[in-house]
Amino acid sequence: MSLHPVIVGGGPAGMAAAIELARHGVRSILLEEASRLGGVVYRGPLRDGVQLDYLGPRYSEILSRLHGEFEEQSGLIDVRLNHRVVGAEGTRALVVLDADEHLHEIAYPQLLLAAGCHERSVPFPGWTLPGVILLGGLQLQIKSGVVKPQGPVVITGTGPLLPLVACQLHASGVTVAGVYEACAFGKIARESLALLNKPQLFLDGLSMLAFMKMHGIPMHYGWGVVEAQGDGELQSVTVAPYSRTWVPDLSRAEQITAQTLAVGYGFIPRTQLSQQMGLNHGFSDDGYLRANANIWQQSNEPHVHLAGDMGGILGGEAAMLAGRIAALSMLLQRDVLDTELALVRRDRFLSKLKAIVRFRAAVDRYTGRGAGQTALPAADTVICRCEHATRADIDRALEQGVQDMASLKMRTRVSMGDCQGRMCVGYCSDRLREATGRQDVGWLRPRFPIDPIPFSAFHNAATEAASHE
Amino acid sequence: MSKFYDVVIAGGGVIGASCAYQLSKRKDLKVALIDFKRPGNATRASAGGLWAIGESVGLGCGVIFFRMMSANRKREAHGSAVVVDSSTPHILPQSFFDFALQSNAMYPALHKELQDNHGMDFKFEKTGLKFVIYDDEDRLYAEHIVACIPHLADQVRWLDQAALREAEPAVSHEARGALEFLCDHQVSPFRLADAYTEGARQNGVDMYFNTNVTGVLHHGSRVTGVQTAEAGVFHCNTLINAAGAWAADLSEQATGIRIPVSPVKGQILLTERMPKILRGCLTTSDCYVAQKDNGEILIGSTTEDKGFDVTTTYPEIAGLVQGAVRCIPELADVNLKRTWAGLRPGSPDELPILGPMKGVQGYLNACGHFRTGILTSAITGVLLDKLVNDEPLPLDITPFLADRFEVKAAVEVKALELA
Repeated sequence: MSLHPVIVGGGPAGMAAAIELARHGVRSILLEEASRLGGVVYRGPLRDGVQLDYLGPRYSEILSRLHGEFEEQSGLIDVRLNHRVVGAEGTRALVVLDADEHLHEIAYPQLLLAAGCHERSVPFPGWTLPGVILLGGLQLQIKSGVVKPQGPVVITGTGPLLPLVACQLHASGVTVAGVYEACAFGKIARESLALLNKPQLFLDGLSMLAFMKMHGIPMHYGWGVVEAQGDGELQSVTVAPYSRTWVPDLSRAEQITAQTLAVGYGFIPRTQLSQQMGLNHGFSDDGYLRANANIWQQSNEPHVHLAGDMGGILGGEAAMLAGRIAALSMLLQRDVLDTELALVRRDRFLSKLKAIVRFRAAVDRYTGRGAGQTALPAADTVICRCEHATRADIDRALEQGVQDMASLKMRTRVSMGDCQGRMCVGYCSDRLREATGRQDVGWLRPRFPIDPIPFSAFHNAATEAASHE
Repeated sequence: MSKFYDVVIAGGGVIGASCAYQLSKRKDLKVALIDFKRPGNATRASAGGLWAIGESVGLGCGVIFFRMMSANRKREAHGSAVVVDSSTPHILPQSFFDFALQSNAMYPALHKELQDNHGMDFKFEKTGLKFVIYDDEDRLYAEHIVACIPHLADQVRWLDQAALREAEPAVSHEARGALEFLCDHQVSPFRLADAYTEGARQNGVDMYFNTNVTGVLHHGSRVTGVQTAEAGVFHCNTLINAAGAWAADLSEQATGIRIPVSPVKGQILLTERMPKILRGCLTTSDCYVAQKDNGEILIGSTTEDKGFDVTTTYPEIAGLVQGAVRCIPELADVNLKRTWAGLRPGSPDELPILGPMKGVQGYLNACGHFRTGILTSAITGVLLDKLVNDEPLPLDITPFLADRFEVKAAVEVKALELA
């Protein structure tokens, strides 16, 4: 076999896979859309020499270990930064837009898709005001080392990212006005035992809470966002206690002054490419679509592998393990590794991965979103920002009998804009599942190109000359 | 879980929805529309051109079809004296002109009716369709067309280079002029289908979405209903086959005869939203270009025989991109937002297949609309409504009957006895 394996995504999964391949002498091509490797978790500072002490010593350690190992193997990794994969030609080649905005086809004998995830947008009145930002995006700002949000910051949402970002913000000198975790404390406490599957993470969680207490950052359980207010930009946030199903008790609502509101209700896998390739997918309990992989991280096309969050949200550490397993499978397929050795190595990664899966399942149980969330937007709240479709538009379509995502799209134009529904798909899927009682209401069918590309990119479009070993 | 209806329509694309809407206006019939959206359904993939003359003379969506046909014929005719080349226009028979023009004339009233009575706007826009002329071959082709349609002389207009630049400043200065069809306009195709559907629903038609027809019920030579996977049995007096590219399967189940409808793949491109740069729709010998009501520019389309495959393919997309940039140079700096492929329900003579079939009662075809389903949905709905109600038709349906084909009864009428 003369072609190199291709890896899509230079986050933890893709980097770990490239390292594992290189350790066995196999050269790979690593395509990354950003100007730096590491993905959103481990990208590191945007400028050299910036210290990221406020992110904590453990984070800095993993960050430098991953980049260090990668550096050692870089002679066998063909890294292409600022390269966007915009489409798939079946399951044999990718269509890639390079840094100069030219299109190329890149053929592969084995592929690893590690495209990660994007954040779940949760609409409520005022969510499109400048100053309202998704929690992961805000964390990315402080990780960049060059931008900091304006305080006071209010953090709402659910899950362990909330206190983590609160601590990181405080340590970087930003005022955190309060953290509002939508689920009740008892629900988290019930998962303590399962959370101990990752004892270090559990301890980290406790010490974050202690840190917040010590520095006077209020943490409210069972509270969530109701509305954001401001004239042209965010000025205040209304929060209220949530019932078990996340229905806000407006009689106890409070208005807080804030310049930044960070909203973190979890993540949705980036399945645009795996869908376009026609791979098998399924739905998670959280209602998102994810690509299916087997124990070797293979999709239903055995030469196409999946790792990281696009197969379900498990985070950076799991992504590295899955990336390594995928690399082992590719090494087996290329007859570089013998089966027994591969099995031993895989099982070692797998047992670590399973502990994360158990930990993560506990987090998923307590962060399970309440039905009240979909009632937050007002009739005139914009749901699809590209096409300005409002909640009233969606309500009307549902009343008219629309039952699936594609029909909702046609009726209301949701998802027909430039982002192809990355922002509104979560809400639309929630509403359709609620209205029909069905688990499968379809998902958006991503079209080529996954991101808009200039017509001029087609000039001199070339098929990459097969890179021979 | 048996249900009883006067009419069951199988297929909720623009044709089925139009039939449902026209039937629903009577309010005395119990009608069910059964639909399952399969990848590539043509209504949602369509461009939405109402190019009554353009399509009848082989332009618009047809121009690429015709080029493909002439290339095939050239190959077939290799070595013989007869060579059909692309300078010979591809004109459909008069019956199709009548059908298309009658349908086209219905849209202004239909637009108002659906908007006033049902609050649905399918974005009817008067645009005209200009055939952009680059060279002598194009001009010859245009002249042939005009010669073939003397009765439509008042609906065509020649634009010289200056007039074209004035009318469409964005069009390449390479163009020497254009032939414009004044009565050819556009709509939003999926909004048209949604408008018919919602109008029908408001008028009392029962909608069964995400429902698969799995079999047809018979009593002797009469079709008496359908079996579905999700919603049980539907009994009916009349079954309308509006199953688009999938119509042959249903006709076989209903009549034992496979009507010759097969999928003809077309790939389409869409730009990001733009300020209004085109006043009307354009067709060239490479592609057609239509700026829609929201500013997006739609570029189509390929004509491919790939079965039910609906993948988009790089060389074909690149070909359309080149054709579009040649016509409108400033598109080079514009973003391509998305591409998709649809399956036109093609018939061998490019005419639709409408109405009853010999020897079978309780069954009507409304299929085979090939590349003009959006345009001819209006008249098809009216025709089917009148057929169901046994009333005089606004035009002769004979050229469109399935019996025009030499049908090979694959599975003789034996299937009919499985009632």
